[in-house]
Amino acid sequence: MFSLADTTRRHFLGRGSLGLGAVAAGLLNGPIAAAPEIKPADNPLSPKKPHFAPKAKRVIYLHMSGAPPHLDLFDYKPELVKRTGEPVPDSYLKGRRFAFTSGVPKLLGTPQKFAKRGKSGIWMSDALATMHGLADDIAVIKSMKTDEFNHAPAELLLFTGHNRQGRPGMGTWVTYGLGSESDNLPGFVVLVSSGVQPSGGANIWGNGFLPSVYQGVQCRSKGDPVLYVSDPKGMDRDLRRKTLDALKDLNSLQADELGHPETATRIQQYEMAFRMQTAVPEVMDISKETKETLEAYGAKPGEASFANNCLLARRLAEKGVRFVQLFDWGWDFHGTNPAEDIRDGLTKKCGTVGKPISALIADLKRLGMFDDTLVVWSGEFGRTPFREGRTAGGQVLGRDHYPDCFCVWMAGAGVKRGYSYGETEDLGFAVAEKVVTPFDLQATILHLMGIEHTKLTYRFQGRDYRLTDVHGEVVKDILS
Amino acid sequence: MNRLFPLAVVLTLAPFARAADIDFNRDVRPILSNNCFACHGPDDKERKGKLRLDTFDGATKNGSLVPGKPDESEFIARVVSTDENDVMPPAKTGKKLTAKEVETLKAWVKQGGRYATHWSYVKPARPAVPTVPLPTRNPIDQFILARLKQEGLAPSPEADKTTLVRRVALDLTGLPPTLDEVDRFLKDTAPDAYEHMVDRLLAKPAFGEHWARMWLDLARYADSAGYADDPLRTIWPYRDYVIRSLNANKKFDRFTVEQIAGDLLPDATDETRTATAFHRNTMTNSEGGTSDEEFRNVAVVDRVNTTLAVWMGTSAACAQCHTHKYDPISQVEYFKLFAFLNNTEDADRSDESPVLPLDDTPEKRATRAEYEKAVAALRGVKVVDKDDAAEVKKLTDRLTGKLNALRPKVTVPVMKELPQDKRRVTKLQFRGNFMDLGEAVTEGTPAALHPFPKGEPLNRLGFARWIVSPDNPLTARVTVNRFWEQVFGNGLVRTTEEFGTQGELPSHPELLDWLAVEFASDWDVKRLLKLMVASAAYRQTSRVTPELREKDPDNRLYARGPRYRLSAEMVRDQALAVSGLLSAKVYGPSVRPPRPSMGLSAAFGGGLDWKTSDGEDRHRRGLYTEWRRTSPYPSMITFDAPSREACTLRRIRTNTPLQALVTLNDPVYVEAAQALARKVAAHGTTTDERVVFAFRTCTSREPTAKERTRLVKLFEEAKAEYVKDAKKAEAMATDPIGPLPKGANAAELAAWTTVGNVLLNLDEMLMRR
Repeated sequence: MFSLADTTRRHFLGRGSLGLGAVAAGLLNGPIAAAPEIKPADNPLSPKKPHFAPKAKRVIYLHMSGAPPHLDLFDYKPELVKRTGEPVPDSYLKGRRFAFTSGVPKLLGTPQKFAKRGKSGIWMSDALATMHGLADDIAVIKSMKTDEFNHAPAELLLFTGHNRQGRPGMGTWVTYGLGSESDNLPGFVVLVSSGVQPSGGANIWGNGFLPSVYQGVQCRSKGDPVLYVSDPKGMDRDLRRKTLDALKDLNSLQADELGHPETATRIQQYEMAFRMQTAVPEVMDISKETKETLEAYGAKPGEASFANNCLLARRLAEKGVRFVQLFDWGWDFHGTNPAEDIRDGLTKKCGTVGKPISALIADLKRLGMFDDTLVVWSGEFGRTPFREGRTAGGQVLGRDHYPDCFCVWMAGAGVKRGYSYGETEDLGFAVAEKVVTPFDLQATILHLMGIEHTKLTYRFQGRDYRLTDVHGEVVKDILS
Repeated sequence: MNRLFPLAVVLTLAPFARAADIDFNRDVRPILSNNCFACHGPDDKERKGKLRLDTFDGATKNGSLVPGKPDESEFIARVVSTDENDVMPPAKTGKKLTAKEVETLKAWVKQGGRYATHWSYVKPARPAVPTVPLPTRNPIDQFILARLKQEGLAPSPEADKTTLVRRVALDLTGLPPTLDEVDRFLKDTAPDAYEHMVDRLLAKPAFGEHWARMWLDLARYADSAGYADDPLRTIWPYRDYVIRSLNANKKFDRFTVEQIAGDLLPDATDETRTATAFHRNTMTNSEGGTSDEEFRNVAVVDRVNTTLAVWMGTSAACAQCHTHKYDPISQVEYFKLFAFLNNTEDADRSDESPVLPLDDTPEKRATRAEYEKAVAALRGVKVVDKDDAAEVKKLTDRLTGKLNALRPKVTVPVMKELPQDKRRVTKLQFRGNFMDLGEAVTEGTPAALHPFPKGEPLNRLGFARWIVSPDNPLTARVTVNRFWEQVFGNGLVRTTEEFGTQGELPSHPELLDWLAVEFASDWDVKRLLKLMVASAAYRQTSRVTPELREKDPDNRLYARGPRYRLSAEMVRDQALAVSGLLSAKVYGPSVRPPRPSMGLSAAFGGGLDWKTSDGEDRHRRGLYTEWRRTSPYPSMITFDAPSREACTLRRIRTNTPLQALVTLNDPVYVEAAQALARKVAAHGTTTDERVVFAFRTCTSREPTAKERTRLVKLFEEAKAEYVKDAKKAEAMATDPIGPLPKGANAAELAAWTTVGNVLLNLDEMLMRR
């Protein structure tokens, strides 16, 4: 024990230059209390009780940045296919503006083949061939509607409940509400594939007005998996331990002398940092997975691919990380180049995610984690039932941004399996029934985690803020 | 503890004891505001049951509140109701009054149910300075001691001189004192040695750099335009304007007016025009498919909200979409404020126009005009011959090249009023939607606040003068509170960002008002800061006793000296300063210190990685670091620096393992440890001497024997390892700082680097004593 109550006191009194000020009377009059055992301030990340028993112990959130063309994936509109090439009826265009389309565009039915899949008969196109096997596992919401038709505001709305920067992200709120189960990994981890930040930027997993301790930690497949997790070149683990021992001793002296709980907290945080230095590289190293596993996901050690990230998501979830968020860029199917064509381009893009997502869900089932893990798949908005204006004259088929209809799906903890919720009207311009807003989706995710969304609040600038702002209804029908 | 107030007495008094008399603002308004005003407040559109509880007339109109008779008051009956359909607040809100809150409301009604204007909307009057039996250094102490006495607490003794010299240097300049500065102060036995030291610190250029940091958070200053593609923008001359103004001790009222309306001043100069970039720090959206007019409106909204938040601690944002639910700002009034700021030329353009060139000269302009003429002439030439065409193109290219070289490079986006014939008509926007417009409104200020100053023009300049008007009850209070927060760790009003009814009440209302009146008498920032750091309250030891920790964990009563973690910028600057790496260069374009490559690009934008700056620009103070909103400097974000997308009114201080990883492993800090090692190894002859020197260089104080021994032990352990492994030693001593100095011993330097790494991570380095 390096606690030096006596020495500290002597040291305190014995210092030559106390510089007694006018208010020093207190010191001269009274004895100094013996240095106490300082307890660290409460760790803001220690696990907290949810509002009620949760169905989901963790979330793996898969976001397809750029907004996938839902009409070519999940929302089959035969009437629209029939009327392909007809001008869009006036009533759908009146008073509307679109990101890249003006004038009267032409209706565009899906060129993809659709069929009912699985026992449940969920509609999926051939572009999703690698995900057909999931038909009986997922609950598709076909009646999503947002207010934003540009990427950044739409992603911010979806993840932070507000279309501008400055509010905390969903994972941050959850971490604020429930703390972290891990003592050597962050509670909220973000993985980005395809080399592009999502449009909403780091705000999506940022802390906004919440303390930064709750923000998402971006892990990378190249370089340090978490920034600065590697010791300096020339310092091995053994010496790092020795430096931290010295630091702990010196900081304990400080804690004894000045009595600040924050010093004790700092000592703990350095110990957690030390544990993270081993745990993070370990969990991020997929090279120890079996060949079969790597193949099932299509993962290759060292890449920053979505496949790798799906495998990492499973590894992180296994180690107690509560919220893992994956972002994959390249879903902005305008049709400005062949990769953005809703025919082959889309099929190829879906191929890069379908296989790893299927492997992830199979893995979760194998590990007995599918029942308490919530998997969410989303885009930030939908795409138009007509050809995008700029590319309408070209060979490549693309669609413009469309906020009124899009699809997301959920699977796993607490969610019905093989279920389809909501409908759009025949031409796909509007939700016909059971509108679900981003706030409703947020409320539902929080509900599954045992959080009543109206009660998870934080006071900032005189107002009690919450993720769902003043909105949000739990989508009860999709709950199992 | 002290003898005047035995422990038993101390414990019977709650820290924020309440008098038996109910005070509306202190006791009642927070309950009503938090639970009732959202539906029964100023917003008549959302008002339920036609009941208004934020005014006496509204509350008493239908017998909801019967003065003196809680039992006959319907609203009391409703809050105590056990019927789920009747109880207020409604069950679905999840809110429920506590028994204590109900008692307070009953007692208030019994005492007459009188209302009072919210405290912060009443102009501060200079309060009498309380007399206290203990000697004090200035009036601040009299207010603090009077309150301590009331709470049964005694102040702490003054901190020792080495603690003070470091504390005040860090707080005023953001940098630790050099050993020479420490020794000078320790040797100075004059009674006003401390005051002289403070004067020296206030006169340093580093003063302006440090305090600019706080202001740049408010100004949401960044070197990029924001949104998805987040392109870089040139606006650093504004940052330099802030530093210069603070160093020149520009009067705060003038500083304010320049930033809001410096272009409209009768004596406008390039400097005052540069100041208006304050409101050009709003974001510009160049994402394809976005509407410029939509995002111009977003920028104007941001300007309204930022202005009221920064100067008046008022969150007006609510009133953009609906009449404010808590504070007296109607939606119409919101757009009357909006109108003041709605007539500038800027319009969310990707070129950021209008910009003010700062390195242009009449000569350059004249030469450019000539070149432009020549290029135009060449373009008009009709050539048939191929060779001629090539010749003309070559000539045109050369001229264009020269022309571009003559264009101004240093520019700053500015506020510029539209000419009379192009002025916009401001209209109410329903639910804040810029396309859903209502009646036209003209410039004006909210009726519930102080009057618009007589004789001032009803434009941006008049608006700026309204903010610093002597009648404004908020600006001086909000500003002194902000400076107090920086010096003492917490504001007197802890919610520095919110002085309205939803904000916290001041811990020391009289002190706050006294400081506000004092400050508004000359708007002298340096004098205000000197007053604060010269107080005995500031100079106390920060040692906390178990009693104080229990009774006042957050030091709201100031029975001990302030102690809190350094800001992100200070953590970096201090490491560079003590290691001798810090560049003293002030001003200029933002720089790119080393940072890890992320291998990512912005959506629709270029790569987010950068090429590290050369030479001393690697080691500039943190505030000169290029601030890109979508990828701010990672190590500073970890220490709670904001992304600056919007105005940051208060940084929250956290203590996380990721911070430990930064100061332990970030190559910037490793390099600092290496530089420190080289300094230390060249000092003295014995390990003991070197440890003392290294420790003092970092902390300004002598290590205790225990501390010294522990560090010597670490040095010996590390050295033993490095002697065994030359390769590791070389890496530890040189990567990334560079080759060993001539004749240096790698193992020795590597071991000192290890010691330096520990010193830079000491608790007292991160949280000054």
